Parts: sequence; C-alpha cells; structure tokens
Amino acid sequence: MTRKRLMFLWMAILLLAAGVALMLYGEEPAPVTPEVTVNFPRRLNQEERVRMEKRRVLPAAPQPKDDGPRAPERPRDPVLAALGSGKSAVVVEANAIRNSPVGKLLLECILDDAKENPIEQLKREAGVDILQDLDRVALTDEGVVVSGHFANARWDDLFKQHATSGKYGDGATVYHPNAVEMELPDGGHVTRQPSESLATWGGQMLLVGDNEEALRAMVDRVEGRSIVEQPLLTESQTFGEIYGVISADDLAKIFPSDQADLAERFRSVAQRIEVHVDTSSDVGIVADVQGVDTSQVEDLGKSLGAALSVARLGAQQQEEKDLSELLDLAKVKPDGDRFKVEMAIPLEMLEKQLSKCGERRREREQRRRQKLQQQGQATTAPGR
Amino acid sequence: MRTMLAVAADLIREATKRKWFLGLAIAITAVLVTLSLSLRMDVVDGALAATRLFGKLTRGPIQSVDVALRPVFMAVAAVVFYGGSVFGIIACADFAPTLLSPGRIEHLLALPVRRWQLLAGTFLGVLALSLAAALYGSGGLIVLLGVKTGLWTWRPLVAGLLSSVSFAAVYAAMLTASLYARSASVSAAIGFVVFISGIVSGFRYDLIPMFEPGVGRTLFTGYTMLFPRISALAGAAMDIAGYRPLQVHSLWSLLAGMLVFGGGVLTLGIWRFEQKDF
Repeated sequence: MTRKRLMFLWMAILLLAAGVALMLYGEEPAPVTPEVTVNFPRRLNQEERVRMEKRRVLPAAPQPKDDGPRAPERPRDPVLAALGSGKSAVVVEANAIRNSPVGKLLLECILDDAKENPIEQLKREAGVDILQDLDRVALTDEGVVVSGHFANARWDDLFKQHATSGKYGDGATVYHPNAVEMELPDGGHVTRQPSESLATWGGQMLLVGDNEEALRAMVDRVEGRSIVEQPLLTESQTFGEIYGVISADDLAKIFPSDQADLAERFRSVAQRIEVHVDTSSDVGIVADVQGVDTSQVEDLGKSLGAALSVARLGAQQQEEKDLSELLDLAKVKPDGDRFKVEMAIPLEMLEKQLSKCGERRREREQRRRQKLQQQGQATTAPGR
Repeated sequence: MRTMLAVAADLIREATKRKWFLGLAIAITAVLVTLSLSLRMDVVDGALAATRLFGKLTRGPIQSVDVALRPVFMAVAAVVFYGGSVFGIIACADFAPTLLSPGRIEHLLALPVRRWQLLAGTFLGVLALSLAAALYGSGGLIVLLGVKTGLWTWRPLVAGLLSSVSFAAVYAAMLTASLYARSASVSAAIGFVVFISGIVSGFRYDLIPMFEPGVGRTLFTGYTMLFPRISALAGAAMDIAGYRPLQVHSLWSLLAGMLVFGGGVLTLGIWRFEQKDF
C-alpha cells in the first residue's frame, strides 16, 4: 500500500473521529427555555365544577305537578340568583385572586395611601376579615353583591350610627342610610339623602343597591319571590377568576382614545359580550362577542384581529419582548354571528403599573421603623 | 478544482435528462402553480383574516400572519428534509454505479482526471442537485406566500440548506458503498440504513434511558454515536422555520460534524477508489 493511499485512510479515520466528536458536542440537549404559556379560560375545569356544585344552596324552583308549563329554573347559587337580567354583570372570585400574583399587587395598592390598614380596621369594627371571609364580589347595573362567610360579622355595630335597619323577606336585614349634612364651599349646609341601600342576607351576602327598589328586587330574586326567565349568568359560565357579561356600551368605554372607531363599531354591532379572565400567572382573557348581523360581526372580528396584529408589530418595534410574545397568542376565532377573542396581558406590565403602590408603602414602613428605632434609642440612652 | 466542477456539471447534465429529476421539477412546479391559483389569503393590517383553498373557506383563528403560517413553514421544512432525503436516496442511487460501469470507467480514467477528483466531482454534482431541488421547493413557497400575504421570510430556505447537509452525509456513504459493490440497490440500501440510523441517532438521548444498563445499552450507545444526527438536524430546521428556540446545544457544531463525517466517509471511498483495479 503506497504512502499516498495510506494518507487517505488516516485522513478518513481522523475526519470520522472529528465528525463524531463535533456531533456529540452539538447534539446535547439545549437548556429548556420556558415557553410562554397562558391559561385561557374556555370552560369549567374540575375544580371550578366542584366549586359550582358547592354553591347550590338555594332550593330549586317548585314545578307544577300536572302537565302544565314548567316554571323557569332559577339559579341555585344565591349570587347568580341576585344578578337578574340587566345588561352587565361581572363577578370577581376574590378568594381565588387574592393568592395570585395580580391579587397581591392589587392588595398592595389597596393598602397604599391609607393611614391605617383598612383591612384591619374592618376586622376590628365589623368582625369581617376580607382576606379570609370574602368569597366573591359581583358588580351589576343595579348594585353590588358581596358573598362570603359573614356569620360572625357585626353589621349592626358597623352601620348603627349611619343607618336605620329593618327586616325584609325571609332572611334579609335592610339598612337605610340616614340623611347626611354636608358643608358647602361657601360655608352653607345642605342635607343629602343617599339613594343607595344596603342589605345583608343569611350570614353569607352583603347587597348594595343603587336604590331601595333595586335592593328589594335582588332580595326577592334570591328568596324566590321573583324568577328571571333568562338569567344574565348561568352556572356553566362561572369559570375563570373573573367572569361576566358586559354590554357593548360599557366595553366601548374601556377602549383607548386612539381606537375610538373600533369602540363605536362595537357599540353598533355587538349585542352581548361574555368575558372570562384567568389571573393565575400572566392574565389570560377570553371574550365571546355576539351580534345579530353575521357579516357585520365577521367584519368586526377581522378589524379586531387586525388591531391585535398591529399592536404586536408595535411591541416588536419597541422591543417589548414579553408583550410581543403574549400577543403571539392573541387570536380571534370567528363563528357565524359571534367570535371569540383570546389575548393575554403580561404580568410584568401589570407589575410596572401597580408596583409603585407597593414601593411607596414599603418606603413609608421603612421610615416608620427607622423612626421607632431612633425613639427607642433615645429612651434607653444612659441618664446624665 | 476546475476538473471537479467539470465532473459535477457533467453529472448534472446527465441528471436533467433522467425522468426522476424531470419528474421532480415538474411535480414541484405543479404544486406551486396549483397553490398560487387556488389559494387565496385575506390579510388585514398584518392579520390573516380568511383563507380559501379551491374556493372553500378554511375555518381558522384570525391572528398575525406570521404566527398563523408558522405551522405551515414547519410542515414544509419537514417535507423538504425527510421527503427530499428519501427521494434523493432513490433517485441518486445509480449515479455512482453508472460512473463505475465497465467501458465508462476506463474511458474516464484515461482522461487527465485524478481518481479522487472523479469521486469528489460526482459527490459535488449530487450535492448541487439536492440543494437546487430543496431551494426550488422552499424558495418557491416563500415567493408564493410572500406575494399572497406580504410576509417575506428566509426561514424555510434554511430548512432546505440543512437538508442538503444531511443528504451530503448520506450520499457520501452511498457513494463509498458503490465502490465496494457496484450496484444501485446496494447503494440505495446503504443510504436507507444510514438515513434510518441517523433518525434514530438524533433521538438517542431519549432512547438510551429506555435500555436497561448493560451490554444492550452500551451497544446501542456506541452504534448511534457513529451516525449523523439526521432527526436532530431536521428538528432544528423545523424549529428555525417555526420561530421556536433550538433544542440542540450547538447547531453549528452539529452541522460541522455532519459535513466532516460526510467528508470522512468520502475520503474512505477515495482510499478504496485509489487502490481498485479496473
């Protein structure tokens, strides 16, 4: 075998060995980069299903024994029963949000700018610990419904100086606010009678009505004296940490000023908008928009999809990587006379907006601790 | 170098006269033309609002067009990579046996061409064919989607380039095998063995733990260590096409390794060719 041929053989062996070594180095699995995943609430999960079943505390509406028409079924969840059939109602699962990253940020903002901790104040005056006893808060056209464990609440102690109470229905106590004397800027006085009224029900709900009639209507619905044919929210729609139905007018108010055209189109095309929000990490929002005219609804869906795409391009150009990655997940799914929108808001963006509350509070607490420390040192200083 | 390129050019001329490659060019062109005529995409401010294929509306979410097309690019990368490799193994299996056929080889060896230049030129010619086919298919799709959606991206082209690197390693083994057994069937069989072994080797990190520690695991580890990581490179091609993070530690090292591996196998072929009597 000539030297030249041997050279080829050795070169082949070396190249093969080098190739194998390079491939061994290159093939090692790369460190796993966390993918952006957002939980979009699309249906009841197992936990929410169990929660929904536990909330069925009201008796079912009695049905006729003969073959007559069936009475409309009313929600057996007292909060859903109280909602009625207005245009908008949003329920916030306060107990679930409290432990989420967004909930902690919101809590810091609530405690910000308060001289005294309002949560401790409420606990002391009324015996209600918002952090433990509060379950849900529902905001409706007629007022607010708050549910939770209020069996030990001392509502009379809290309201006695500001309202007169009376019983209503089977289990409600209604509080009528007293007239309030207010001082005018010119030094004069005027007496104002607040229109809002409050009621507590069954040790588990606090209802606030825009007026007494609305309040009594809520209590009547809870106690079964009036039943809504088509409730605004049903049990199967109680998924997500925030859920509800918003009217097109209310939704249009949320749009920024540079999207006024899109807001106006929502007003004219959309009839009903069902919203579900998940706040377990980054905030995932699913909105189901329904209208009457299929072609107009389709066009609106396309316009919204285009707006999301433009927002994504804007985020890429401004190098907002988190927002851009989350807008990758944004989509509009058309379906005849309705469409579903899925979009996410990065937690970091919310942190930037809300973290200032926490920073101010932490600075105040640090200054207070330093002051106490200095006072302590002054009192323990050796006498002369 | 000029001699090698002349050999390569001669091979390309011969290939264009063969039905396989003519058929491939016609097939790719037909698919692109059909898609250009039947596919309609409605893009509004960068969002893919609607897609019609042969007049039928396909129901899909409205989202940014580059996000919506990512699965398409990944699928194209996979087809170009795996489909292209399989086609290349079948279509190119008889180039080397034909080169070495009695009558032809004596004529070629009589020319002022070194043996290693003959082999390297044949290899380069096949590589050029596979590169051209991959770039034509993926490049055609880029132009098609770019015109229809306004989205212009180079990512599917990368998949084409990576598939050529992978095929280079496979064809080097086919070419070398032909020098030991002048048969298109044997050449194709060796090509498939390297191809399938390469796919398995690409998943070796996932497969090795499935073996009980012992002789079996050691043999499997040793066997898969030697072959080009075809499936790992295919995965990287799909990740690049789909805007996903790479799953491999170093793509450049993997590419270099496969090219060097191909070079090593080709050098083994040259060593065999240099000492063979015709």
